[in-house]
Amino acid sequence: MKTLFQTSLKLASIVALLLGGTAVTVKAQNAKLQLDQLDFLASKASETVDVKLDEHMMQTTAKFFSSSDPDDAEIKEMIKGVKGIYVKSFTFEKEGEYSQAEVESIMAQLHSSAWNRIIGVTSKKEGENVEVYLLTVGDQIGGLAVLSVEPKEFTVVNIVGPINLEKLSKLEGQFGVPFFNLPPAKPKGSK
Amino acid sequence: MKLRPAIIALTFAALLGAPLWRAHASDDFTAVVKAIEQFYHVKHQNLPLLARAGIKATRSAAKIRGGEARRLAEAGSARIAFFEDQEFDSRGRIASFKASIQSTLADGWSPLVQTLAPKEEEQTYIYIRDAGEKFHVLVITIERHEATVVQATVAPSVLAMLMKDPNEMGKVLTNDATSNDN
Repeated sequence: MKTLFQTSLKLASIVALLLGGTAVTVKAQNAKLQLDQLDFLASKASETVDVKLDEHMMQTTAKFFSSSDPDDAEIKEMIKGVKGIYVKSFTFEKEGEYSQAEVESIMAQLHSSAWNRIIGVTSKKEGENVEVYLLTVGDQIGGLAVLSVEPKEFTVVNIVGPINLEKLSKLEGQFGVPFFNLPPAKPKGSK
Repeated sequence: MKLRPAIIALTFAALLGAPLWRAHASDDFTAVVKAIEQFYHVKHQNLPLLARAGIKATRSAAKIRGGEARRLAEAGSARIAFFEDQEFDSRGRIASFKASIQSTLADGWSPLVQTLAPKEEEQTYIYIRDAGEKFHVLVITIERHEATVVQATVAPSVLAMLMKDPNEMGKVLTNDATSNDN
């Protein structure tokens, strides 16, 4: 009976560990937003840009950035652990050619409990609205998303993996990440 | 007597071009070229240009990073199909064309960059596929009156460098494969 109890306990521990591991994996996977739901906007947009750099691509090429070259070394450090960079950008000829409801599929994903909005910059004059969301898994950053909503442009950038604002600003202009002119990241420990 | 140089030239062109074309019949590069031809009712330039492009590609080089001249595509790996002075009018069905390219390259190829400007009939598609220790890169560039399909094998170090600016990757690779200013 004791043996049976001990075996059950061991089994329960293994199941719990497996479930825990699955939960972390599921959360990590959630850092990748479902962006294909926006593809229908391409038929209305005057210009569409779609960049997909998946984990395999990122990891395969990351090791070929030279550590001896300062620029390459910086990039290598920036993309360390990054499991994907996904960018979709739609430019429209006129204002009002896309609506808030049409990009709701992305907003809904970001409004789930796992994501936290950490920056929101609104320019009333330009009608521009940039929001940055972070997904955390425990005390680790699982991913980042940037939404740029303008009257004639909609851009979403999704970076999967450990990424912070400082790294994001360094990635601007590279790997298909556009410039967002976000406020500088506060140094660690500052209030 | 005057026929002799012509026969030599024809034999040379056939040796350069024909095996290149036949060896890759029914592959993805060919399938993409056919998909463009069928959708837009256009015709790619045939053997003489293809052979010329093959020669160019082996000599091609690009100036990258700090003026250092370096070949991007592995020597002899570039395959090029040109469509010149033709009408590329999708009649508002650019999404259907995109879907046909996606289904043509469904096996093993990953889409890396896609840009569309339907009004200008401009499209760029860049697909990547593992090729052992290297990568195959397929670039499709379509404009209103011309198009280019380039497939090249690149080393991972070259791909890493190109990935820094994926939006420019198609242009850089196409220029590399089609220029002979080395």
